[in-house]
Amino acid sequence: MRYLVPVLVGIALLAIWEVWVSLANIPVFILPRPSAIGAALVDNFATLMAALWVTLKVTAAAFFWAAASAIGLAIIFTRARLIEMALYPYVVTLQVTPVVAIAPLILIWVGFDNVSRALVIIAWIVAFFPMLTNSVQGLRSVDPQLHDLMRLSGANWWQRLCYLELPAALPSILTGAKISGGLALIGAVVAEFVAGSGASTGLAWRIIEAGNRLEIATMFASLALLSALGIVLFYLLSFCEWLLLHRWHDSFQRG
Amino acid sequence: MNALALNAAGLRYDNGFTALSDITAQFARGSFTALVGPSGCGKSSLLRLLAGLEQPTIGSVTGLAQSDIGFVFQEPTLLAWRSVAENITLPLKIEGHARSEIDTRLAEALQLVGLTDFADALPRQLSGGMKMRVSLARALAKRPPVLLMDEPFAALDELTRFRLDDDLRAIWRQQDCTIVFVTHSVTEAAYLAERALVMQEGKLKAEITIDQAGRTDNFRGAPTYTEACAELSQALGHKSGHKSGAA
Repeated sequence: MRYLVPVLVGIALLAIWEVWVSLANIPVFILPRPSAIGAALVDNFATLMAALWVTLKVTAAAFFWAAASAIGLAIIFTRARLIEMALYPYVVTLQVTPVVAIAPLILIWVGFDNVSRALVIIAWIVAFFPMLTNSVQGLRSVDPQLHDLMRLSGANWWQRLCYLELPAALPSILTGAKISGGLALIGAVVAEFVAGSGASTGLAWRIIEAGNRLEIATMFASLALLSALGIVLFYLLSFCEWLLLHRWHDSFQRG
Repeated sequence: MNALALNAAGLRYDNGFTALSDITAQFARGSFTALVGPSGCGKSSLLRLLAGLEQPTIGSVTGLAQSDIGFVFQEPTLLAWRSVAENITLPLKIEGHARSEIDTRLAEALQLVGLTDFADALPRQLSGGMKMRVSLARALAKRPPVLLMDEPFAALDELTRFRLDDDLRAIWRQQDCTIVFVTHSVTEAAYLAERALVMQEGKLKAEITIDQAGRTDNFRGAPTYTEACAELSQALGHKSGHKSGAA
């Protein structure tokens, strides 16, 4: 039922859409029928898959660097208050400045011959912050008595990190990861939009290109692929979360 | 021969609260001492001082290395993601014992607390009393000469507590370790310990020896137990201090 109901709703909506567009005679450059979108997807399959691959690579790289840098910085922040006090305002500045506004600057700095690297950096900026705040929060919330226990056991900082802090913070870190995964994709799309033509040939660029050519069905097909990519990423991260937490964490306990 | 001693020790927290002042006490090797007093009287602070988790702001503590101390917290304080066995062996792993040594001590500790069948269980699968046993086993696996316990059974129901009290007495006899046991319960102190230190408002108020002569299994029905309870209650007084602050 959990899966069947949303699938049925989706099919019903597509059917209504199909019938409504035919009956109301809506021109194809305004709103194409779902069947036309499907056809466009099949016709442009190779190009669209290549574009999907490009966007996926940027998203994955941005997510990876966001996770690595955020967890690393969170560990430093929780160890050294002074560093946190010194850096935190700048991290917030990076977060609150609209990324579309910084993107052209990054493109210029990294250089147009290195567009994919610029795309990753832009998407990284978008994905980084939730991962950082969640990791810091997780590392901070460790029970002080458990810290005492580690002290009494004579644990060094590395043992304390591996045995206590990281596992204890894992639920928060994974919550951050689920948010950041989606943001990395949004960041990748925004970056492609800003970068425009040239070396970037991801899905977002396909959307712009198809729009310029009034190939609205192809535009919808790209859009559908982007959504699908986002959904797959979310469920993949949810699955990782389940894998790592379901044995012991309260959030997976029933009743 | 003393295992631990406090010499005119005092503890003042950074926020200005004086948790302990002018405490002088000795803890003989192999003795069982109860620290009794109302909430906020400083008994937990005193235990943390003995464990080296706090440093006295005045006076001194003659203690042991932290590796020689087994500490049992008020809550089970287990790592939720590690099994019972993994929780018990963690301190040994950190201390760098050999695999075979760790396995021996694990089996021994599990047997002492009667949890041999639950080695692979996760903490969330256990009852409150069982979690507390795991916590006790973890402290015992270190084979510590000194066991410091901070109201370990306070959150348990009375029957479970009675059983754990008996188990603890048996373990103490068997292991021949020095135990300092913090409790707010007069009856628990009288039942468990050979000596009770009564605390109030950060000071030692009385020292009461609990007569162990001719002690039988049915100690709860013995006149010496009833007398000890009465004496302890009297020492605590009717108007116990109720200062809030660090416990």
